[in-house]
Amino acid sequence: MFPHFNLNEYIMQHVSNSHEWHLPFWGPLPLPGILTLHALMMFIAATIVLLLFLVIYRKEDRVPTGMTNCLEMFVVFIRDEIAVPNMGEKDGLSFTPMLCTTFFFILMMNLLGLIPLFATATGDVNVTGPMAFLIFILLTLGTLARNGLKGLWHALIPSTLPKILIPFFLITEIFSLMVRSGALMIRLFANMMAGHMVILSFLGLFVLFGWVACPAILMAVFIYCLELFVAFLQAYIFVLLSAVFIGQMYHPEH
Amino acid sequence: MNPQLLHLGQISAGAGVGLSAVGMGIGVGMIFASAIQAIARQPELTNKLQTLMFIGVALVEGVAFFCAIICFLAIKG
Repeated sequence: MFPHFNLNEYIMQHVSNSHEWHLPFWGPLPLPGILTLHALMMFIAATIVLLLFLVIYRKEDRVPTGMTNCLEMFVVFIRDEIAVPNMGEKDGLSFTPMLCTTFFFILMMNLLGLIPLFATATGDVNVTGPMAFLIFILLTLGTLARNGLKGLWHALIPSTLPKILIPFFLITEIFSLMVRSGALMIRLFANMMAGHMVILSFLGLFVLFGWVACPAILMAVFIYCLELFVAFLQAYIFVLLSAVFIGQMYHPEH
Repeated sequence: MNPQLLHLGQISAGAGVGLSAVGMGIGVGMIFASAIQAIARQPELTNKLQTLMFIGVALVEGVAFFCAIICFLAIKG
């Protein structure tokens, strides 16, 4: 049907970053300077989050209704199920704003990618990498600032360890911190990118084979619904695991 | 459709993704099986167990996607 269609190039072009935004009627819109497509998506997601919480959220209602109720449901869920059980009362309450910001930002970026003309900013390592790096900074420098060097030592190494094993354990624990943050980054990035690649592959099958590939469109719709679920789930998993790791470092059980 | 000679990167990428999919399928199946059994034993814990189940699925799928990304890089180089 379309003779010059290269499936590989089609998928990679839609999934990776670029300096233009391909709109349907105005053609490719060149983005100025250092602003790339994924950076623009991050700005749009941040604007939506700010709009939701500063403008749409009404503080003066005694009983929350509508969007206010929906946002409160999410925030209360993050406070009561993620922050406080993992980080204790005091730390949980003070970390809830940061966890809520992370959750809503990642959720908005994931959901924006599902709208046909927009791109997924979290499907890029350069976006999820710094977020995971911030969590890593919170784990190491945060423990240092909060509990001091002794606190960092007690968080990494259990007190009942024989002295001979301490260098080995130290190396393993530092490596484990880095690997866990790296896993946070790769989990979110790979889920988002792979989901979009699957949808684009199914649509590309239809272009390649013509009308016999109609069931591929149905599969693409099904995977699209799965992507919607995965968007929420991955944001929740990122925030949950950050809360668990921070709780483990700030309040070590051993 | 242009036929092209497959090189080693493409063959190994396919094999890698297939193997990781086997692991992920077994893992997710075990998680769901134990979750269903636990819910059958104690229906009042459905919400808590469902939350744990989804966390388990996300973690196992994360590993499989990580392998998929590496295999995708193997196709290129």
